Amino acid sequence: MRLGFLHFSRFPVQRKVIELPELAGKPFVLVEEVRGQQRVACASTSALKAGVKQGMTVTAATALEPALRHFPYRPEEERRALVGIGEMLMGLAPGFQLSEPDGLWFDASAAHLAKGEEGLCAKVLAQCSELGWRGRVVVASEKFTARALARHGAPRMSVVPEGESARALAPLPLSALEGPEQTAFAALGLMTLGEVAGLPVGAVTARGGAAGMRAHARCRGGDETPFIAEVLEEVLEEQLTLEWPAESLEPLQFALKTVLDRLCGRLGGRKRAAVRMNLTLKLDPSGQAVVPLTLARPTAQAKMLLELTRHRLSDVRLEGPVAGLILRVEEDCEDRGQQLSLGDAPEGDAALEVVLSRLATALGEDALFMAALEDTHRPEEAYETKTFRPPPMRRGLEGELLQPVEAAEPVPEVMRERPSRMLGTPATIDVEMTASGELLAARLGGRRRRVMALVGPERLSGDWWDARPYSRDYYRVHFEGLGPAWVFRDARDGRFYLQGLFD
Amino acid sequence: MSATAEKVSVTVEALKEQIRRLQAAPRKYLAALRTGVEAFDELLPGGGLPLGQVVELWGEAASGRTSLALRAMASAHREGRLCAYVDGPGELYPPAAMAAGVDPARLLIVRPKTAEQLAWSAVQLVRSGAFACVVLDLTRGPKGASGVRLSPAEGKRLMDAAVRGGSLLLLLTAPEAPGDGMMRLRTEARDDEGLSVEVVRSRQGGIGARTLVPWKALYPELEGGETPWGAELPPAEEVTVPELPRERPPSEGHRGIPWQRPGRDAPMPSLRASLDAGSALH
Repeated sequence: MRLGFLHFSRFPVQRKVIELPELAGKPFVLVEEVRGQQRVACASTSALKAGVKQGMTVTAATALEPALRHFPYRPEEERRALVGIGEMLMGLAPGFQLSEPDGLWFDASAAHLAKGEEGLCAKVLAQCSELGWRGRVVVASEKFTARALARHGAPRMSVVPEGESARALAPLPLSALEGPEQTAFAALGLMTLGEVAGLPVGAVTARGGAAGMRAHARCRGGDETPFIAEVLEEVLEEQLTLEWPAESLEPLQFALKTVLDRLCGRLGGRKRAAVRMNLTLKLDPSGQAVVPLTLARPTAQAKMLLELTRHRLSDVRLEGPVAGLILRVEEDCEDRGQQLSLGDAPEGDAALEVVLSRLATALGEDALFMAALEDTHRPEEAYETKTFRPPPMRRGLEGELLQPVEAAEPVPEVMRERPSRMLGTPATIDVEMTASGELLAARLGGRRRRVMALVGPERLSGDWWDARPYSRDYYRVHFEGLGPAWVFRDARDGRFYLQGLFD
Repeated sequence: MSATAEKVSVTVEALKEQIRRLQAAPRKYLAALRTGVEAFDELLPGGGLPLGQVVELWGEAASGRTSLALRAMASAHREGRLCAYVDGPGELYPPAAMAAGVDPARLLIVRPKTAEQLAWSAVQLVRSGAFACVVLDLTRGPKGASGVRLSPAEGKRLMDAAVRGGSLLLLLTAPEAPGDGMMRLRTEARDDEGLSVEVVRSRQGGIGARTLVPWKALYPELEGGETPWGAELPPAEEVTVPELPRERPPSEGHRGIPWQRPGRDAPMPSLRASLDAGSALH
């Protein structure tokens, strides 16, 4: 089986810089508590240049670099970030296995779909660099070979052909073994993995036991550790705790971007798109605010979601500063992508989302809708309102491969004789009739309007089983100076009502 | 050889420049939106409703303004574009819109709760450029008020938004509250002839031009020769409005459940005869 290993040097530092871009180039450390003492777990490049070392106390490190900033090291957040990267890569690799704290293996068996293993490496690095990660990738046949070369080798990406592992590993230093065995080999005066591989198997097994034999086999390119793919979480959720409570939108944006990038990467890896999301803002010191995000068109584009979220948040009033946020995908669907044509601006959908969000915030969710026919004869209830979700655009060159546009739902014949405007409540009208029952005129809008023409009746009745039965005789009446109107005579009280206008 | 390569690179650069220009330009797939109603399209200077502009349809309550707007939206939907209807009075009847060819899935209906939000909503929708056609219904306000009149500033904002978004904005206005459209079309229902449309204001010329849109063009599904409201009145006895059977007031409990189907109130037929027949069989 061919495997790739993606390694990020000083992963926690990279993650911190992505979350807080202001830290780029600044001295800072991530600290963990060891036996009651705050010790450096990871340091930035400028901190390392100042002499800060891993394991040093924060006090000692601050003495070396007075401008040093420190943040808590949270292994569970590092793991979550790694899982996010792994899921993001699932569009290229069908499975991944974490190698905490700073790398992961991925299944490279689908490399032929990405222009070979070199192409796969390049694509993996490109996807990572889009989100700001800098890493090294090695594809090999064994887990140890891939990991050791990615962590200790020089090139950014390399492919080790089948059976070439021992030769590729030979120049690596003994520290690449990363286990207690390296001390035993170092005691023998060995410096590289190639020298270890050159030892006779029997002698190594006799002196080092099973562990020595395993290390020796690895150096010869014989690692047999199985690849166990990570089980994916069913719930798509990302959370982030802010270093200090955010009182304005600006600091929150960076956190949002991080979370959205990660979540959209995961969605993209699964070829899913978010339909509905909930953003929970944890307030300081207590309480929370939930901001629902409903999308007109399902998407997995972080940029668009960020724009939408930013807009929604600008209208939300919070009772306190934000201490953390949780973003959860409540509903998702298959991501069918978006077909743009020449001249289309890629941000076309973003504009739609933003304007819908803006209107929903200002007017309320119920003020925006699309209509769908309802199977009823009562005219005023002939449609229902639904959340506006337009179908995806399908444009392109006419051809056999072009999918046909979905046929519109047929409209019942009777709907073709309905007025384009329907009054919210039918209005009573005073009519003038002859002794024989002929309709002569009606009083509408404070004026007497003569009936010019009349067609009807169309009898509609029903709901006798309900609390509101109806029985009406509808007429299309052309009133002088007004135009055609839809009038009915109610059987319950015998009066005439104006219900619609053929405008 | 190098000359050929140079020529190719020049062509590629020219194409790239063209693509850049296309992407930078406002969306204009259709310079004008043809409604499909021939008489109406021929009246308009561009052969259709111009995109990136504000067009006002001004007329009485039932003068065909909404029908023409629905035709324009149906035409945009045939191109796969989205449309929006800012429904001030809340009177748009979607089933009739569907019958006119409007795709309900591509029509966003917005019903603001106050008159002040009408113009603002339309500005947002038009400026986004996501909708090919936006209809702003100002014939009445959301709370039943008479025609909503736009302030000059709102009118200017709407015009700017239409230009920027490249969308068509159709204003539906009442006779007492005309708007500030770049082009104003007066609509009037003629008794048996059809719908009269006149260009009242236009920067592209054609002022005073008038056309008559036959009812048949707006309602093609009606039987040939028959127009529901244009036909001569039939003889008096046929036009007579029939006296509808009035429902009886709720009766006493022993007559059945009040407001139930009339049949329920009728006395049950006797079963004695059939029972007697059954017993005879045994």
